[in-house]
Amino acid sequence: MASTAAVVHAVAPVCAAPKQAAPRRAFVGARVGRRVAQVAHPTAHKAQQQGRSTAVQVFAVRDGTPLDRPLRVAVIGGGPSGACCAESLAKGGVEAYLIERKMDNCKPCGGAIPICMVEEFDLPMEIIDRRVTKMKMISPSNREVDVGKTLNEKEWIGMCRREVFDDYLRKRATKLGANLINGLFMGLETSSPDGPITIRYNKYNDGDKVGTPSTLEVDLVIGADGANSRVAKDIDAGEYDYAIAFQERIRIPEDKMDYYKDLAEMYVGDDVSPDFYGWVFPKYDHVAVGTGTVVNKTAIKQYQQATRDRAKVKTEGGQIIRVEAHPIPEHPRPRRVKGRITLVGDAAGYVTKCSGEGIYFAAKSGRMAGEAIVKASEGGKKMAGERALRNYLDEFDRKYWATYKVLDILQKVFYRSNPAREAFVEMCESNYVQKMTFDSYLYKTVVPGNPLDDVKLLVGTVGSLLRANALRARDSKSVNVSFGSKSNEEKVTAAA
Amino acid sequence: MQACSAVTGLRAAAPLPARARAQRRVVAEAATENGAAATATLDKKDRKPSPLQRGGTLQGAAAAGKDASDKFKAAAEGASSTSGPVLQMVEGRFSDFRWKGGRWDLSLFKGADGETDWDAVIDVEMARRKMLEDSPIPCTNEDPVLFDTAEIPWWAWVRRFHLPEAEKLNGRAAMMGYVLALFVDQLTGVGLLDQQESFIGKVLLHVCVFGILLVRTTTDLDKYKNLIDEATFYDKQWNATWEGQERPSDN
Repeated sequence: MASTAAVVHAVAPVCAAPKQAAPRRAFVGARVGRRVAQVAHPTAHKAQQQGRSTAVQVFAVRDGTPLDRPLRVAVIGGGPSGACCAESLAKGGVEAYLIERKMDNCKPCGGAIPICMVEEFDLPMEIIDRRVTKMKMISPSNREVDVGKTLNEKEWIGMCRREVFDDYLRKRATKLGANLINGLFMGLETSSPDGPITIRYNKYNDGDKVGTPSTLEVDLVIGADGANSRVAKDIDAGEYDYAIAFQERIRIPEDKMDYYKDLAEMYVGDDVSPDFYGWVFPKYDHVAVGTGTVVNKTAIKQYQQATRDRAKVKTEGGQIIRVEAHPIPEHPRPRRVKGRITLVGDAAGYVTKCSGEGIYFAAKSGRMAGEAIVKASEGGKKMAGERALRNYLDEFDRKYWATYKVLDILQKVFYRSNPAREAFVEMCESNYVQKMTFDSYLYKTVVPGNPLDDVKLLVGTVGSLLRANALRARDSKSVNVSFGSKSNEEKVTAAA
Repeated sequence: MQACSAVTGLRAAAPLPARARAQRRVVAEAATENGAAATATLDKKDRKPSPLQRGGTLQGAAAAGKDASDKFKAAAEGASSTSGPVLQMVEGRFSDFRWKGGRWDLSLFKGADGETDWDAVIDVEMARRKMLEDSPIPCTNEDPVLFDTAEIPWWAWVRRFHLPEAEKLNGRAAMMGYVLALFVDQLTGVGLLDQQESFIGKVLLHVCVFGILLVRTTTDLDKYKNLIDEATFYDKQWNATWEGQERPSDN
């Protein structure tokens, strides 16, 4: 191609005489700055040394430089975040590569999606197995509260199978022009700060058990590879605290399943988890019974047993068909972007506290990242870089910070101890609380309610907490948990 | 003298068995006619009082009103008397004769004057929660728990939990205040009342009272430090990416 030849021509003289005024030569497309000359030299030299074909020379391109080919972005991981990112990129005219290691992956997950996600992401009803309209919260002393009295017919929580959900999103991204690759990401190399990034991955061709090592050259990389992100490790993003979520899928008899037709249960208590909750969520023909914890991961099996015991009567006669566990991030990683590589979804750590919700934020962050790149590159025609990625991070942080903070406060106040949990369940009895909770969960906006009702709510909360704490026996063996910067062992203290 | 009485005692003892045997023979014949009840009274009246009955023990009408309370009598006799089980786990379910339909039946908590004894209700709810905390039971649809602690009126809570604490704190504040005032008086010669005229005096008074209110033990200081740490930790984690970086929305 003429442009490629021109590129080669331009680079070669630069190679030979870097000090000359070659950089100012104008040719089709790119403005080449002086910095490029210094950088291109060692790259070209290295390429020549390795004896590789130099038909297309690699050279660094600054942000904002018009390109003569579409911008190339690799999205590592084909879950909700990766697929939505690839979809936004492809829609915007960017060349997107979606690398997923297991196309039929059944990620261990609660599988709950809020109703706003269905609208925002145009999800068809077929991929939603159940619509949960009732939730039961059960306190340590087995006080039950029905939450969901304030929902109307159009409001529900969707339960889906992750393999079906993820597959739909990936196929949609592919239909819009993303290149889906079945491969396992192995590592990436950045030759220079503004230069292209080389992805190394094992490509699984049809029926292969072992992948063939391959490489791919792109301009930006989005790490959407989940809680154990490899990309995050490669960019030194830092560690985060994580909860271990453990779940057993149990097939229960028809009549018991009927009770869970559109109802999910949430068990709180020291026995079930010191800092999280145990759940019974209905799946398409079975229920998932599970629990999670951050501070005491080694005792997760005992918490799971306690959860099963609490739900024993309601799941009697059930058979365990699958046991699964997965880490859930507790907060974002310290560094979510480095150069032209950024993280989205679980890899970035966008899971809320208190409820542990991650699917919506993963998909939304993927979409925001994709859109930010499309905007900065003006449809894939210009080079985009760290600035665009920081714009995405800033937009996401600003938009959802209130939601995350409110859930954090709820967790700190109500998951501290058994009395706090009793007060929590007692508070959830009120219609106002239910309405506020569901509105903020289903529509992802923190809407300030009526100030008078808020004051009443505050007084009621304080009253509940005081009463519940007063009712704790002096020789109680329950624990108090704190949520600050102490180590996990120090966070748990015996009841005063 | 002593030997004499011993001998008489012995002699008195010896014929007893014979008499008792005779009694029993008479009784046996009576039993066929009268029945067991008659037998019992006959036996008791003629017997010498047992060690338990000697030494000032009262019986019958004289002992009225000096029994142990019903609760302990029931416990001694096996708890099944009139009411029913008290704070027990029966077949994996919580059962108490006052716990009906998932609530405490407040009519069964009447105190001496006919008013509901709220302290007893609080005690029993505390005991129930402790029991369930120590040995959790499955949650069933058949036995829902519906008791709301708001059923207990606010003044019962205040009287039981707040007032004793308030008394202690007020006492401490008064003691500390008085001692400090005396100390200042000794140092500066300013009298107790005159100390409060100055602004500093008033400030120190407030510091003393509120200090005692808020910092009750040394662990309270750690608690407040922890609270501040907790309140700001999550924010720090979220802002970690922006450390040393320019944030687009700042422009």
